[in-house]
Order: sequence, then C-alpha cells, then structure tokens
Amino acid sequence: MDSDPWVIPLAAASCDDQRIGGKAAQLARLQQAGFRIAPGFCVTVAAYEQFLRESQLQRVIQMELGRKPFEELRWEEVWDAALRIRNRFSAARLPLAVVQSICRTVRTLGSGTPLAVRSSAPGEDSAQRSFAGLHESFLFVVGEEAVLESVRLVWASLWSDAALLYRQELALNPLRSRMAVLIQEMRTEDRSGVAFGRDPRKDQNEHAVIEAVPGPCSGLVDGSVDPDHWLIHRAARQVVTFRPGRREGPAQNEPLLQPQDLESLLLLLDQVESELGWCPDVEWTGRGSCLTVLQARPITSVRHDPNDKRPWYLTLRPDKQRLQQLCQRVAEQLIPELCALGDRLAAESLEDIDDAELADCIQSRQALLERWKRIYWDEFIPFAHGVRYLGMYFNDAVHPQDPYEFVGLLRGEDMLASQRNRLLQVLAQQVQEFPELQRTLQQAAHASSAASVFEWEAWASQLSALGGGCQFLEAFQTLLRQFMDVAFGGLRLIDNPAPLLRNILELASQTNSSAASVESREEPATQELEQRLLDAVGAARHDEAREVLRLARLSWQLRDDDNLLLARVESQLLRALQVAGARLKVAERLNPDAEVRADAVPMICAALRNPADAPLLLPAALPHPAPLSPRASGETPRQLVGQPAAHGLASGSVRMIRGPEDLGSFHAGEVLVCDAIQPMMTHLVPLAAAVVERRGGMLIHGAIIARELGIPCVNGVPNALDLLQDGDRVTVDGYLGIVTVGVAEFRLELE
Amino acid sequence: MTDEPLLESAASRQPSLGDTNEDDALRNLVAHLVQEQPYAVLCTQGGGQPYGSLVALAVTEDLRSAVFATPITTRKYRLLCDCERVALVIDSRSRSSEDMMQIEAITATGRARQVSPGAEFEHETNLLIGRHPQLELFVRSPTTALFRVDIIRYLHVTRFQEVRQWTPIRG
Repeated sequence: MDSDPWVIPLAAASCDDQRIGGKAAQLARLQQAGFRIAPGFCVTVAAYEQFLRESQLQRVIQMELGRKPFEELRWEEVWDAALRIRNRFSAARLPLAVVQSICRTVRTLGSGTPLAVRSSAPGEDSAQRSFAGLHESFLFVVGEEAVLESVRLVWASLWSDAALLYRQELALNPLRSRMAVLIQEMRTEDRSGVAFGRDPRKDQNEHAVIEAVPGPCSGLVDGSVDPDHWLIHRAARQVVTFRPGRREGPAQNEPLLQPQDLESLLLLLDQVESELGWCPDVEWTGRGSCLTVLQARPITSVRHDPNDKRPWYLTLRPDKQRLQQLCQRVAEQLIPELCALGDRLAAESLEDIDDAELADCIQSRQALLERWKRIYWDEFIPFAHGVRYLGMYFNDAVHPQDPYEFVGLLRGEDMLASQRNRLLQVLAQQVQEFPELQRTLQQAAHASSAASVFEWEAWASQLSALGGGCQFLEAFQTLLRQFMDVAFGGLRLIDNPAPLLRNILELASQTNSSAASVESREEPATQELEQRLLDAVGAARHDEAREVLRLARLSWQLRDDDNLLLARVESQLLRALQVAGARLKVAERLNPDAEVRADAVPMICAALRNPADAPLLLPAALPHPAPLSPRASGETPRQLVGQPAAHGLASGSVRMIRGPEDLGSFHAGEVLVCDAIQPMMTHLVPLAAAVVERRGGMLIHGAIIARELGIPCVNGVPNALDLLQDGDRVTVDGYLGIVTVGVAEFRLELE
Repeated sequence: MTDEPLLESAASRQPSLGDTNEDDALRNLVAHLVQEQPYAVLCTQGGGQPYGSLVALAVTEDLRSAVFATPITTRKYRLLCDCERVALVIDSRSRSSEDMMQIEAITATGRARQVSPGAEFEHETNLLIGRHPQLELFVRSPTTALFRVDIIRYLHVTRFQEVRQWTPIRG
C-alpha cells in the first residue's frame, strides 16, 4: 500500500508530505503525535494530476480561463467557466489505476461505512490563507461509486467560482492549483463543534472561542444548526460569556457542554498548538477523553480591502436553506411592498402641495430609493442565485452534454417585461391591420415634434379619428402608464413616447411575432426537461427537485421584475424633481435651461424651502454627445471574441444602445450592441438579428432572451462598445463566440 | 520549385532525394516534428495575395494527410473555398529558439478540401479532437468547417538552409 502512488493511509503519511495536501498532512501529524483522529486515507495530488493528464482536462481549463485575462473576467463569467469545467470533470473517465486503488482502500474501511470526503489542497490552510468552505466536502458518503463521484466533485471544486476568485484575490495562479482528497470514517458523537485558540474576529487576544452543536459538526459548518457559544479566558480557564444556541427541543436551554468538557477542549487547543506551532482552529467531535480531531488549521487574519467586492461575491454561493429564506422574504414581502410603493408614489398628486411639502416629498422619495437599492444588493441579488442553484442541481442529476440545458426550465415565466413585450406585440399587430394608422404613426414617430409629450398628445387626437386609432391609443396609454413609468439612464421613459412608437412600427414591419412563436415551440421542451430532471433524481427526491425548480423560477422572474419595480420608484423621484424644477423656473429661481437630475436633490430642496435665497444655477441639459471612438488610426477590428451565449449565426449593421436616447433608433434586422441588455430594453431583442454585449454571462438577460428567441448572442466582448460603431457590418457567430467585422464573405445558410 | 504533382498521377510524382535509408530517416524527422508540434501556419492565397493563419493540426500516422478546422466567418475559410492549393509550415522554435542552427522546419504542400458530414467527417474529427481534446465544441460547431489536406510533399529544413524533400508514398 505504501508504494501506491494514488492513495496513502493517514497513519502512514509523512507530516510534510506535499502529495497529501495541508489538511491531511496536519491530521497525519496529529495522529502520529497520539491525538485521536478518524481512520482514513488520502487520494494524492498525483492521482489528481493523472486524472487531468489522462482526460486532458488541463487543456479544457486553459481554454476556459484563457478567453481573456483572468482579472478581467466578471464574476458571472467566472461562474460560467466553473460550471463548464465542473461538467467536464463529471463526464471525464477516472484513471483505472486510481479507481482500483481508491476502491481497494475504501473496502479496507468497510464498504458500508459512512465516509467523509474532503478537499486537501496543498497550501490550502495556512496562517496567511484559508480556503475554508471554498472547496467542496461530502459527508456520510457510502459505497465505492459514491466515493468516486465525491472525489471527482472535490477535484472539480478546485475550479469553483469562489475558489477561483479567492485565488485571484491572493494573486495565486489558478492553473498551478492541485488537489488531494482526504477520505475518513465519519465520526459523529453526541456533541461536535469548533474551537478557536483565540477569538478569530480579533487579531490578538487571550480569549478562546468554543462552539458546540448536538450531533454532527456539519450542522454548525453549514449554518443549519445554531451553536452554543462560549468565550473563555484561555489562561484563567474562565467563561467570559455564554450564548445558548436557538434550537428547538426540550433541553434547548441546557448548555451542550459541561465545565469539564470545556476544560478538555481547552487542553486540546493547548496540545494542538504546542504540536503544530500555531494558534489553531479545531473541528472536533466527542467529549472528555473521547475527543476526536476532525480538522485543525491556523486561524487566518486576512484583512480585506473594504472596497473589494469579492468577499461579498463569496457570500453568494447558493445554499438551499438561505434561498428558501430569501424566497419567502423577497416573494411574499419585499416585491409586493416595492410594487405597492411604486403604485402609491405614481398615484400621488404633486401639483397641489406647497414648496416645502414638495421638498419633503423629494427627500422622502430619495431616501426610499436608497433603501430599496440596498435591499436590491443585500437580498434581491443573492436570491437571483436560485437559478444557479438549479444549474448545479440539474447538472449533477442529469449530466447533460450542454451545461446550460437547465435554462430551458426557466422559459415561460410571466415577468413584467414579458407582459410589456406582449402588449407591444398586440400594438404592432393593430398597426399591421390598419395601413392608414400605420402611415400616420410613421409621420408622428419620425417628426421631430413627436419628441415631447405635448406634441404627442396633439398627434393622439389625430389618431383617434382613424380606423383602429382609438383602440391603439387606449392600449398605448395603458402601456405607457403600466410599464414605461420607469427611469432608465436618468430619464423617465414615459416622458418621451416617440422612441417606443418607432419600436412598435419596427415590430409591425416584422411579419410574424417571433416571441409568440417561440413560446409555443418551446413549451413542450420545458416539460420534457422537467421530466428528465424528475427521472434522474428518482421518485424519493421529486419534492426536493420541484422545490429547487420553484425557487429557481421565482428567482428568475423576480430578478427581472425587481429591476423594473426599482426603476419605477426612481421614476417617481424624477417626477417630483421635474415638478420642482418647473416651479423654480417659473419663479425665475432656476436657470431656464437647467437640467434637474437626481444628484441635484439637496440644492433643489434647499431652494424650495428658502425662497429668499439667491436663484439656483444648474448645468444646462446638453444634447447627447456622440461617443468618441478610441479606434486608433489605421486600426480596424476584424474579429472580436466573447462568450457564445446563444447559438445562431447572423449578419447585420451595428446599432449601439448606450442609453434611453438610442432606444428609438433601433431598426429591425440590426445587430444590437450594448453594455448589457437591461429589462427596459428587452423589447428590442425580437427585432435584432443578433446581440453583442460587453458584459458576459450565460444567465444574464440578453443571453437568456436571445436563447429563447433563437437569436445569436455573443457576450463578454470586452471592448465591444469602443471597437464597434453604428453602421459597421458584422457577423455574429453565437456558436463560437466570434463577432467578425466587415461584409460577410460566406454563405450564412448552415447545412 | 516545380508545380505540385497531381495526387492521382504516380507518374507525375516528384522523386524523393536519397536512398531508402535516407528516405526513412527523413520520414522519421518529419514524423517526429508533426507529432511534437500541435500547431502549424496554414498558407493560403487569393487574388495573388498570400495569407497565413495559425491552426491547430493533426497529421495522420502515414503522414499523407492533415486535418484542421476553421470558423466559416474567417478570411482563411473564404480563401480555402476559392483555392485548394495550400502549404502548412511547422517548426521547432518552441524547442530551441535560441540556436537558429538547431531549428527544424517543414513545409507541407498539398490540396485542402472541406469534409462534409458523414463517416469521413467523424473519422477526421476524431483525429483532430484526439490531438486537441479542448477543441471538441469548436470542431463540432455548425459554424466550423473541417478541412483535410492531402499532403503531396514535405520540404524539411535544418541548419538554416539545408533543405530536403520527402514525398509520402501513396498506395
């Protein structure tokens, strides 16, 4: 067994053996020093390397992470790459010799013995860094097949989004990462927990921290069981504070550990620290003289840059329990509350209140907006990970060839944007039916006078006299009121209906409603996918699978709606500012050409409250400047590379959508190029030949909508907005993620 | 340099230099280099203008053919459609870039043709993916074209200017 390069029993391992990784090496050292350690073995780094070599996965990883400089990858793109790598790890064959070695060793532990399968990467746990929680561990694994599958997933977790981002933060090269796997008998006594040699929240202190839960330690580690918590003066052996865990049950108020149990744990901390030479964080199970060390690592005290959002990203790892809590709060409380707030503010009349009340109103609306923006970051975005949770769940169960097949399960959700887009289709069909109405609307949409609400109303009276006109007007006004009272790029879309009118005319120029045809075409596919998931998990887990689906669908739907609802609240702040600006201008207390934007709130409110103050001077509204192209003279882009986010191949002229002022310029058949498709612009996607986005991700709006509509989409193109210009002819290859600039020189028809 | 001989005509094939042993030695040098180096510069032409592209390559064991893939939206695809005569340049700079006299290079000349879906496509695809497993999705994409190059001869260069020619024997 000793000569086996793939597995090494813990009892036989050398303490400084780099082949077994940090976690296993520390346990081996403690075992050899006489500590109680659960028997087990380590699958060596060499086994991982052999797996990579035989499957040639290293090249796959290099392809995935080499698309662009790693530091330029957005978190969504890292997640996507991690999902694809995980899928390839799942599909790759394990080396036969490694399989034989692992199975042989598992049998020595007893084939029916529940095992813990944990990561043990070299350099994983040290005083400077800790990968705690970032690599996967599997508990209560029974049987050779299950152990092999767990080993494969532990290896794959070296390439999880969180692990990759953490390496990025530590400036470690992910491509040099390696992984050993520690496999031990599960030891579960009636008490388990963690013990810190010092308070991990502080750099230097004399206090130890002990936390305990009933049963296995996994409940404490994954946060599902609230532990009893002791802060103890380590030298004096005196309890400083005790906080009982909030758990249900008859003995919930009884401390889980007695004074002698605490003393044993403090002694254990002393002995481990003496043996390993650093202040430890020990995971343990048992009591008194029967304490088993499950894990020992140094307490890290990494100081994070407060401006660095990566630690925040790391908190976003999907967790079903957290998602369920978020779902309940977001779906049942927050979204209805935000919806009602938007309605209430939209219904408030601002014309009849005095200036001081208007100032209060503006400040109150701004405070509400700020509050909801915080909620957006703290709760809406984390809940959006329900979709990603489904992705992992579906892929682990179904093992699909396409790691994004699960996205098909999200189709058909009745989002606000879908309702708006359906209404737009209805309006387009009305226009198609009445040629006279269409001609008049074309005049209205393209006349420069249609750029203001007042002029639009003049056109509206003309339309009502035409066949289909009244019906159109009624539906159009409903559309404006229900869906366009939103802020986008600092403007209220409801203020300028002309771009929307142009969009409707463009939709009417299309013979078929692509959105409608896609919905009917994809419906059976969704049901089929759902059935595949249920078949794969088995009848015993149907309820669990349906719950994961429910969470994902709600997460996807609400994640879209929340943007529009938040934009509606912002629109109400802008409306109040507009009223204030108009009043101040009439009173000659604000320059007539001033633009009243959200960043002028304090000055506007002060002017409203203090009529005796000097007139306010704000910058004038400037026409939207044409963006400067950073293209160097003589440099012409030929091919841009991004992520193939929706399959298909199409050519067309580039139309940049940089903000609300560009929405009305979009023509059917053009290639939509933007930073990212926002919910306020999804109605343009059915008109587009293809979509190109700077922002990358397989699960962002543009990608999913394009997939639904069968339109090619390439996203994550870093300089798309700088290198492309309106009118450029491009070909978008949504299979390969390539945008070719120039007139297409090939047949577009695929065989 | 003479025109390329027609593939089908043994009579027009250019004779190899040297005797059989030398022939084997040269064949082994060519085989070693194509096995060692996964990439080649594909040389195409159009309207009198040469064009070079780096491609991931796989060469058959008998050295008679090579396979590579290209997106159909590229210039090289259009040039390949317009003119089948191509060259592939493979060199050992990655092995010994410091010493020019140690660098080996081969230029393989031949005819390229697009392989249509079917048994041959699967065979050639497997050859390419076997050499470059990370390219599986790329090779199987509907917007990727697979090309087989029937290699007519190899020109092997060592010590800066020493050039020998070897022609794979066709059955």
